[in-house]
Amino acid sequence: MHPSKPFFLWRHLNKLRWASLIVVALMLILIPFLHLYQTYNAAHAYDLLAPSEKRIFDVMEFLTDPFTSDPAEDLDALKGTTWSGTFWGLRLSDPLAPLAQMAASLSVYWPFALTALIPIVLTAIFGRFFCGWICPANLIYELNGNLAAWLRWAGFRTGDYQFDKRIKYGVLALGLVLSAATGSVIIAAIYPPAIVGREAYFGIAVGGFGAGMVFFLGTLLFDLLVSRRGFCRYLCPGGALYSLLGRYRALRIQRIVESCNDCAKCNVVCEFGLDPLRDGFGQECTNCAACIAVCPTDALTFTVGFRDHPAQGPGHLGRQYKRESGADFEEAAE
Amino acid sequence: MKRRNFLKAIGAGAVAAVAAPAGAMAARNRPSLRYIRPPGSHDEETFLSKCINCGQCGEVCPNRCIKFFGLQNGASSIGTPYIKAREKACILCMKCGDVCPTGAIPKIKREAKAVIEGVKMGHAVVDRELCLSWQGKTCGVCYRACPLADVAIRVGRLEQPHVLNDCVGCGLCERTCIQMPQAIRIVPNHGTGNG
Repeated sequence: MHPSKPFFLWRHLNKLRWASLIVVALMLILIPFLHLYQTYNAAHAYDLLAPSEKRIFDVMEFLTDPFTSDPAEDLDALKGTTWSGTFWGLRLSDPLAPLAQMAASLSVYWPFALTALIPIVLTAIFGRFFCGWICPANLIYELNGNLAAWLRWAGFRTGDYQFDKRIKYGVLALGLVLSAATGSVIIAAIYPPAIVGREAYFGIAVGGFGAGMVFFLGTLLFDLLVSRRGFCRYLCPGGALYSLLGRYRALRIQRIVESCNDCAKCNVVCEFGLDPLRDGFGQECTNCAACIAVCPTDALTFTVGFRDHPAQGPGHLGRQYKRESGADFEEAAE
Repeated sequence: MKRRNFLKAIGAGAVAAVAAPAGAMAARNRPSLRYIRPPGSHDEETFLSKCINCGQCGEVCPNRCIKFFGLQNGASSIGTPYIKAREKACILCMKCGDVCPTGAIPKIKREAKAVIEGVKMGHAVVDRELCLSWQGKTCGVCYRACPLADVAIRVGRLEQPHVLNDCVGCGLCERTCIQMPQAIRIVPNHGTGNG
C-alpha cells in the first residue's frame, strides 16, 4: 500500500505557531502602552510629560494615528490579556476564569460564563491548542527550554525528572477547592498565562512587577533545574482543564505507520513529553505541530477523528519492523 | 559557631521567614490599609468572589487611579483592584464597570442619578480640628473638587464643608485637600456596598 503523504503545509505550521505566540506576546506588551497613551491623551497635557513619556506618546501616536481620531475613547476597544480580554466588543475569557469564579462564588454569572464559550468550542475542535499556540507563558517556557538545551550543550546539568502528568488535574481540583474555601479566585495567582499578562501590564503601566512575577520566575527555575517543561506538563491547572475539554477533539495529529522509521525525533522534540512514536498522543497533545515539522519521513499528519489510533507497532521503515517481518522483506527485496 | 547552633539559627531564620508573611496575610483589612474598590463594586465578599484579577478596570481607567494588591491585603486580595484616594482618586467616569467582564464592578450609567444611587465606595468625613475652614481660614478646596457639589457636599460659613448623605466616596476631596495630613478623608464602605 502506498502511504498517504501529509498535506505539505502541515510541516510549516510550527513556524506559524511561533508567529502566533509572538503576536500574542507583542499584544500583551502593546496594550499597556496604549493604555498609557490613552491616559496622556485624556489629560490633554503633552507639554507636561516627562521625556520618556513623550517618547511613549509619540510612538503610540504613530502606531494608532491611521486608525483613530479619538484615542482616549477608541482604544478602549482593545483591553485585557489572554486571561480575559475585550476585542472590539467581543469578550473572550480563558475557560478557567469562569470556572474559578463559579467555584469562588458558588454561583454562575452567565454573562461572564458565556465569554468562555468560543474558547471552549475551539478547544473541543482543536484540543489543547491554547497551550501551544496562544499561551504567553508557553512562549517564555519554550525559550527557557531552549536555554536549558544550550546549558546542557555547554556542560551544565539541567533537571530532567519526570513526574506523573495527572498531578495537574489534582492541582486544578485543589485550586478550585481553595477558591471556594477562600471565596476568591485564588487560582489566578498560580496560573502562568494570567500572571504573565498581568505582570506585563504591571511592569509597563502600573509601576513595577508584582508578587506574581516571583512565582513565575520560580516556575522557570523549576523547569530549568528540576524538570523539563515541568510546570506545563505536571502542574498547570489551566493545562489540565484544556486537556479535559480537548480529550475528544476533532482534529488530532496521528502517525502514518507505513512512513515511520522509528527515529524518535518526535518524542525528543515534544514539548509536553508525549510519545508520538508509539501513538501516545492522548488528551495532553496541544496540536503544536512541532513533531510534524521535525519528522524526516513525513510520517505525522493531522487527521479528523475523535480518538487516537490504537498503538500501531513499529514503523514500517524501521529496522525492528523489517526484522520482525523478515520474510516479507526478503520477498520485497527480490 | 558549632554546627548545631548554626543549624538552629538557620532553622529559626527559616521559621521566621515563613511565619512573618503568613502572619501579615492573616491580618486582613488592617485599619492602616484604607482603600476603596472601584466605583459601583459589590460588597467586599461578593467582589472578591467575582473578580478574576484580569486587570481590565485598571487598563481602562483614564485617571490611572486603580491599582492592584499584591500580598498586602491577604491572599484572597491578590491581584484585585483598589483605589487610594489620597494618592489618586476616582473621577467617576464609570468606564471600569463597562469593561469588567465578571460582574464584580456592575455597569452604571455616567449620570448623576445613577451614580448617586449605584456607587457607595465610602463616605467623606471631615476632621474639624484639621480643616482650615473650620479653623477660621477660608478654604473650600474640597467643595470645589467635588464632582457632585451641593449634592454630596455643601459649604456653610467660611466655606466650612458639610458632607451630605449622597456622598459616593470618590475621594476627590481627600485627594485635593491642601492640609497635611488631609482634613477630609473617605471612610470605606466595603461591607455595605450596593450588592
